[in-house]
Amino acid sequence: MASEDIVVGLEIGTSKVCAVVGETRRDGTVKILGVGQAPSRGVRKGEIVDFDTAGKCVREALADAEEKSDVMIRSVFLAVTGGHTESFNNRGSVNIPEDREEICEDDFEDVQAAAREVSIPPANMFLHSILQHYYVDGQDGVLNPVGMMGRKLEADFHIVHGVGTRIKNSVRCVKELDIEVEDVVFAPLAAAQVVLDLNQKNLGALVIDIGGGTTGYVVYVDGAIKQSGCLAVGGDHVTNDISLGLRIPMARAERLKVEEGSVILGQSVPGEVLVLKDETGFAGREIEREMLNTIIHCRIREAFELLKRQTDEANYLPFLGAGVLLTGGCSMLQGIDQLAEEVFGLPVHLTHAHTVSGVTSAFENPQFSTAIGLIKYAQAMQGDKPRGWFSRIRRKLPFFGVW
Amino acid sequence: MIELPRNQLPPQADLRIKILGLGGAGANALDRIQLDGANSDELVAINTDTQALTGSVAPHKVQLGAGLTRGLGAGGDPELGYRAAEESADEIRAAIGHANVVFMCVGLGGGTGSGAAPLVASCARDQEALVVVFATMPFSFEGKRRMSQAEESLATLQQSADVVICFENDRMAESVSPRAPIQEAFSVSDQTISQSVRAISSLLRRRGLLHVGFDEIVTALRQQNPRCLFGYGEAEGDHSAHQALERALKSPLMDRGRMLADVQNVLIQVAGGPQLTLNEVQILMEEFNRHISDTTRVLFGAAIDPQLGNRLAVTILSSLDADGAVHSPVVRGAVSHPAPARHIPAERPAVEEPLRVPDSMDFPPQDLLEEALPAETFSDAELPVPQPERPIVSRPVGAPVRPAPRPTAAEVVAAKRETRQEQMQFEPVTRGRFEKSEPTIVDGQDLDVPTFLRRNVRPK
Repeated sequence: MASEDIVVGLEIGTSKVCAVVGETRRDGTVKILGVGQAPSRGVRKGEIVDFDTAGKCVREALADAEEKSDVMIRSVFLAVTGGHTESFNNRGSVNIPEDREEICEDDFEDVQAAAREVSIPPANMFLHSILQHYYVDGQDGVLNPVGMMGRKLEADFHIVHGVGTRIKNSVRCVKELDIEVEDVVFAPLAAAQVVLDLNQKNLGALVIDIGGGTTGYVVYVDGAIKQSGCLAVGGDHVTNDISLGLRIPMARAERLKVEEGSVILGQSVPGEVLVLKDETGFAGREIEREMLNTIIHCRIREAFELLKRQTDEANYLPFLGAGVLLTGGCSMLQGIDQLAEEVFGLPVHLTHAHTVSGVTSAFENPQFSTAIGLIKYAQAMQGDKPRGWFSRIRRKLPFFGVW
Repeated sequence: MIELPRNQLPPQADLRIKILGLGGAGANALDRIQLDGANSDELVAINTDTQALTGSVAPHKVQLGAGLTRGLGAGGDPELGYRAAEESADEIRAAIGHANVVFMCVGLGGGTGSGAAPLVASCARDQEALVVVFATMPFSFEGKRRMSQAEESLATLQQSADVVICFENDRMAESVSPRAPIQEAFSVSDQTISQSVRAISSLLRRRGLLHVGFDEIVTALRQQNPRCLFGYGEAEGDHSAHQALERALKSPLMDRGRMLADVQNVLIQVAGGPQLTLNEVQILMEEFNRHISDTTRVLFGAAIDPQLGNRLAVTILSSLDADGAVHSPVVRGAVSHPAPARHIPAERPAVEEPLRVPDSMDFPPQDLLEEALPAETFSDAELPVPQPERPIVSRPVGAPVRPAPRPTAAEVVAAKRETRQEQMQFEPVTRGRFEKSEPTIVDGQDLDVPTFLRRNVRPK
């Protein structure tokens, strides 16, 4: 197996660091060879706050992945996220020079550069500019304008940017371990690659990736990314709320959330109590189930409402034919799909990476969606196996045809 | 603290208001007030510049220093503005006439505004009127010189006026979208001033179920170096209580209610038509209480104003210390001394506490006029006519300040107690493990604080 077909996706998450080793095949499929993970420390709300500790966790996760997949890891695709990331749509346009009428590949780069000529805050750097649609001489719906005649090429791009230093911090954290970072990818975009198939992208879908520290979302309409973003609220917040509300330690609150928590109100018998098992010599505490659920409900509902408002502002909700797809570790909360349905008024599905094969236990877990998505992303990026003109374009303009 | 309703309502009919617009910015504000439908008899434009005066819509116009500036402006020189006002002091007094409440709109930083404002304010006080000054501070890009002129003038004004509400142009411009045309940015301050003039005059005019008097306004705004928080909102329909409060909090000087958490005194008046229900007031106040801390004293007023019809209006008024640090309320003008701050400890001796507390219990019916008149006679004797040779910029020593409204001492005591209570707070708003991380603020809410705490969902 040629080594360039082996790709590693690394996500330094708030609750865990996870590295997925995958094999990208010529027929466009992906096979997962192994998943390494380590509990994460030194990461808050998707951003590294303790460099050394986070570095150790990354090393642990990579070592675990090497062992399980029997692959030596030299380079990774890294997912980044955090409340600092922002996105917007912009149109770039270039005029085709007088001396030729045909649109050629070089024009793509020009049009992409033109789309990036917008002011973002000086501290920010571009993460992605993803193609949405082409227009040739103002004509809509052109899928591939190479070779077409035209005077003016325009393209809509979805542009994601974030604070440069914070993105570089994540990169440095990996580079210090002598591992190359091939590319950084905005985490929700990666997750969307594996939870959505082409059909769902065309129908329109909202992918919500609720992780430990952040909630990322991506809106697909007509096969193109229209909106993406990140809300720095996640499962950690739920745990924190429980810990503060019930006055129990964080670790206990986390277990309570995972084992007993639900977002559905009014389902427990009034007065039903949970007795915390005595583990540390601390007398068993009684906790009312309804209160636990209320705390979780409030937090998750608020997060959904904030997301709904953002997608509502751009008025994409009516175009989401495939509905809402929930993934990420926090999507395992009981009843979360019902709550999402209630808030968004759309069909909601709990999903995980389903467009890959290999280690089943890995891709059936919504926690790994982002890391597996990185492999899918990498596959799209590679394009090192010439397959006619189409992949040549892909090499020039990596995002083409994938997004 | 909610004041007991006072049934013996004083007649409000003889509230005679004059609205003075001083200088260029004042004239603009006056135009706006006129447009917003004020009684035009009340408006008086005062300026050194005849050309600007002619352009004003106010029916009464007073030209300052006709001999001195010969109809030109004061040229950005406060000294000249001051001398011009001095020359025309009689005309100013005549224009104020028998008004007992004078609102003065002035843009500080220039010549006429900064120079003449303190003098006009003390002229009005000579006429036994209560003086409320709406001052705008210049944009910081106008230069440090103008800013320091404005600050000096503001300091003097605070001594010579009863209430100074200070608007910072910089902050008001923040609320304007960066793409908005420049006129819009400038008109925001005029709009805000007009709105607050209207709001305060209706505060005083409205028949209160729970009356808000001048003394409450003074309490709410009392701060050494005030940065004013002012919000006004009106709404009608099913959710009028919620919407009116939301609009009030969205006012440019309100910071969406974020600053409210730090204030010590806040005045809120809810006014509605005859159909105003207790339920609406309750909903509104419950929501409002979430924005303030437990130790904030709420001066609450409710009023019926038939003019409002089925609309509901909320006025919020408070002040913060501009330096950010919230000082304990200084009893402004309680005793005449040059540096009030240094005397604060003496101001509230512990021995006095038990004696003064009962005062607040049988809080007398407040008629602001009755309150003001005896006070006025007392302070008149001390009120020096500003000396011509004294440079305007200096703070008047032995400042002529009237005795504070009666409840002040008791209020200070109360405020002090509340501070003590703060330390015993059982459930401080906390962010738990996110305590030290960068807060995630969306719409003024810190998302790291548990949602159920922010939304006041408290299951047992």
